[in-house]
Amino acid sequence: MPKWINWFIITIFLGYALAVSPVAAFAQGQQIFNDRCAMCHGQDGKGNGPAAASFSPAPADFTSPGFWQGNVGQKITNTIENGHGPMPAISLSSNHIKAVIAYITKSFKP
Amino acid sequence: MLGKRYILTMFTLVVAAAIITLGLKEAQAVPSFARQTGMNCMSCHTVWPELTPFGRTFKLTGYTLSKSGKKYQFPPPIAGLFQASFTHTNRRQPDATAPFNSSANDNVNLPQQASVFYAGKIYDKFGTFMQFTFDGVSNAFFVDNTDFRVANTGKLAGKHLVYGISFNNNPTVQDVWNSTPAWGFPYASSSVAPGPAAATVIDGGLGSQVGGAGLYAYWNNLVYAEVNFYRTAANSYPQFLSAGTHVDSVVDGVAPYWRLYLQHQKGKHTFMLGHYGLVSNIFPGGQTRGSSDHFTDIAFDAQYQYITHKHKFSIEATWIHEIQDWSASFALGDTGARYNNLDTARFNINYFYWSKYGTIGGTVAYFNTFGGRDRVLYAPDPVGGSRNGLPNSSGVILQAEYLPPIWERRTKIVVQYTIYNQFNGASSNYDGFGRSAGDNNTLYVLIWQMF
Repeated sequence: MPKWINWFIITIFLGYALAVSPVAAFAQGQQIFNDRCAMCHGQDGKGNGPAAASFSPAPADFTSPGFWQGNVGQKITNTIENGHGPMPAISLSSNHIKAVIAYITKSFKP
Repeated sequence: MLGKRYILTMFTLVVAAAIITLGLKEAQAVPSFARQTGMNCMSCHTVWPELTPFGRTFKLTGYTLSKSGKKYQFPPPIAGLFQASFTHTNRRQPDATAPFNSSANDNVNLPQQASVFYAGKIYDKFGTFMQFTFDGVSNAFFVDNTDFRVANTGKLAGKHLVYGISFNNNPTVQDVWNSTPAWGFPYASSSVAPGPAAATVIDGGLGSQVGGAGLYAYWNNLVYAEVNFYRTAANSYPQFLSAGTHVDSVVDGVAPYWRLYLQHQKGKHTFMLGHYGLVSNIFPGGQTRGSSDHFTDIAFDAQYQYITHKHKFSIEATWIHEIQDWSASFALGDTGARYNNLDTARFNINYFYWSKYGTIGGTVAYFNTFGGRDRVLYAPDPVGGSRNGLPNSSGVILQAEYLPPIWERRTKIVVQYTIYNQFNGASSNYDGFGRSAGDNNTLYVLIWQMF
């Protein structure tokens, strides 16, 4: 077998592994959060984004210990999929939702 | 023969949609509000144009919510709309009464309407929804629905408050609910099919005819109050709001408009119960001086929404009661009675299902307009007249909609069928020229593209 084919297979394998790695998911979650969530929840997750003042109740503060009580993963998934109060449903795939949860958890959980 | 026409029509609509969609690739297919907020259409709309709670907040806060947080929006918030339609009525209209340059039946309107929007943040807390429209039926450009706002938020008695100023060109265009006339169902209908002769003033009678400024406040997610004062756009500072439109309903002095509603939101459910009204003096026959007719419109409305990611259910209802004093028109012999009443009631139920194959659903709507007899105002005339002098028209609209899962569901395909029980006062020979209400039953197919 020619050497270049080995290298090709290794490259594909490593690329795939990187793409599905927690690091990639975190980066993807960060990008989605900044694009779709930060307007209300703020880039620091404190619920103080540029649009936050317009809403009542105020957007969730992800740095508050109270937010992390109960089954948070299920709570976030349900809120993203169906909306809650003034927050609309956000059209994201289940992988993207997992990526956002991973980002929020790692970045803001006290 | 009709079959060939249908095939030709459908082919034309499909080709039009394909041309638009291909064109969108270069235009990046981003409506200005979505670009500004970073949210997709379904954040603000169940199925556009019906607003969600987030969409209502976006509008109340002056169209200025922005993910960038910058004081201005760059590139400028420009968006577009294109509509192509096909209309078939049960019985053709006499050639002499077919409107504009349309034929007597089976009309393809390409475009029915094309619009450019400047819609979004202008600067800081100042935003707008401004629509410039080309009407393919009347072959004219005009300033369509327009609403400028300055809005802010604060606290009153420790509770959340949104307050602002609106300057707009159509009473109820500033409203955030889809039970009021400007944004009520049906959101699009045929421009060439016969329509009932009578409508209340607040029911679109002053669209692009006036300009008005007013104050509004929304407190504690519970109570909304607004007052607005309109004056004619035939002259003076609101004139630009009627550009391209002939002002034939000239308001004498100032027409006050008011709005109150109570809202309650619980989880996925939202309820609203409201009241709105308008008092207007309007010169007869497009005159700009002399005595005027006096109209008092008092209306009540309600809306319920249940919204999840997959299911969008809503009910909307409104009832408008208009007290008419035709003092000027009666003196001129243009009406047969000085005092009269006109009522309009509408009720519609909407359901949509969201799936990866697209959004599909529809509406069942009931409408009824009724009032006192006036044999001069509602005189016999082919198609548009009334044999018995009554303005009564009622019926049902059945509408199916499909939004394909491409371009973030900015394409809408609508099939609408309007069934009249009564038209201009009667079911049969309503116009005195042998036409029945059922002859005006209308099949309307529309492709509606936002970009």
